[in-house]
Amino acid sequence: MCGVGGIMYKDSRSLGPASVGMDLVKMLDAMAHRGSDSTGITVAGEGISDDLIIRLWTGDTESSEEVMARAEDAIGQVGAAVTGRRSWGGGFLRLTVNYEGEVSRLAEALIGTPSVSLHSIGEVSEVVKDVGIASDMGAKHHLGDLKGTHGIGHVRMATESKVDINHAHPFWAFPFPDITVVHNGQLTNYHKMRRKYEDAGHRFQTGNDSELIAVYLADRLENGDELDIALRGSVEDLDGTFTYLVSTSEGMGCAKDRWAAKPLVTMETDDMVAIASEEVALRTVLSDEIDRVEPQEAEVMTWSI
Amino acid sequence: MVNLDASDSTIRDLNVQLKRLALKDEEARIKNPRAQHNIAVGILQHCRIHIEGSVGYYCASLLDGPEVSIDGNAGWALGENLMSGKIVLSKDAGASVGASMRGGEVVVGGNAGARAGISMKGGTLLVKGSTGFLTGFMMQKGRIIVCGDVGEAAGDSMYEGAIYVGGEVRSLGSDAVIQDVAEGELIELWETIDVLGLAEKPRFKKIVSAKRLYNFDSLERLEKTVI
Repeated sequence: MCGVGGIMYKDSRSLGPASVGMDLVKMLDAMAHRGSDSTGITVAGEGISDDLIIRLWTGDTESSEEVMARAEDAIGQVGAAVTGRRSWGGGFLRLTVNYEGEVSRLAEALIGTPSVSLHSIGEVSEVVKDVGIASDMGAKHHLGDLKGTHGIGHVRMATESKVDINHAHPFWAFPFPDITVVHNGQLTNYHKMRRKYEDAGHRFQTGNDSELIAVYLADRLENGDELDIALRGSVEDLDGTFTYLVSTSEGMGCAKDRWAAKPLVTMETDDMVAIASEEVALRTVLSDEIDRVEPQEAEVMTWSI
Repeated sequence: MVNLDASDSTIRDLNVQLKRLALKDEEARIKNPRAQHNIAVGILQHCRIHIEGSVGYYCASLLDGPEVSIDGNAGWALGENLMSGKIVLSKDAGASVGASMRGGEVVVGGNAGARAGISMKGGTLLVKGSTGFLTGFMMQKGRIIVCGDVGEAAGDSMYEGAIYVGGEVRSLGSDAVIQDVAEGELIELWETIDVLGLAEKPRFKKIVSAKRLYNFDSLERLEKTVI
């Protein structure tokens, strides 16, 4: 099991950033019974400047400050300038950088730095993930401060790959900015598909099957597919059970496998859309009067911001 | 009528209170369910329970006798293993509504998700709207009445019982066939769905097992040695 959730405020580009971080914490906390191994969110749409937002983890050791310094050196060496820096206990680092080069070069430099785990690079979004439950994580990482237009989140009950911070969702589609995925289910053609994408030059950072979805979507979007076409393609190409959500700089989407094996419900008003594994999560952000829609087998939905 | 608030206690405590009230056949009204799971489960006496709002998974499951009404949506497996009694939901049900039910009646006022009536062993599952993938999967007895459409693989691997469909059948599952509905049977169906207040009476199709997958007379080698 696992729980997924997403939220979008449709007018937040004109009205200003909404409380996406806090909403996701509430939604994920209501689904703590679906998984308490780890929790993670993507918040998109801050976009305060042209800088890139980098989220990374340096390991929970005494030397994490040294690792952070090494990461910043690596950033400098590819010609990027750090414009903002914030760190949290446990080795978490958020940087904003001014950088005009290829994001792949920056990303390669970071993951080539010993003890650095790169969680996301975004133009408008960032990934925060940690072990434990949503309410603890919300306080520790000040997720209430994260405002934006939309976001997705995940609570994990691990079935594939190990339980640690790097194997928590969301998974970022290295090295494509702002494409992240949260997934409930198991992919049964993971190894075959991974080899195919690795042969084509894609890089995987973990042994988690869900990372494949992020790479798959990034590859299709990079090749010019619209998000809904990419999602429809995934229902055909990915084997196994899945309900997953994707966040991009332009919006979010969801897809459900052909067996409708994993739950998902959506609620939409004129102002917002909320999606989650269970209605119990939606009720934390929407009142009882709003009707829900349950996507059925092989169904995909997308929302643009 | 006893008023209960689901936000005042844990669901476990709420269910204990419901069981106590059921022993006295007292009517209960539950406010603020907030789509939480396992509300009103495991009650084995007749009683009346009204839930004002949406419920989560396994609501009104493992029941034998109660009449439960829910004004809202339900998550997965509403009315699982119902033995007797009646469950009426005003809006949509998630997947596996009426799973393994053996008797009684489950009425869904909206649509139901995938695997409605999976492994049903008796009773009636009535859906005003449509149902999803694998409706009546491996059902063994009883009837499913869907006034709207059914999704793909309807009646897959069913043994006995019948699925009546008022709308479209997207596709039939393994060993499921469509059979004619006799006039008397149709009139009886119309009487059953009268509670839904539909403007038009559907011309139901009937899905049953073709029984081509029946192999009950071919025993395994080890079983033969036992006999």
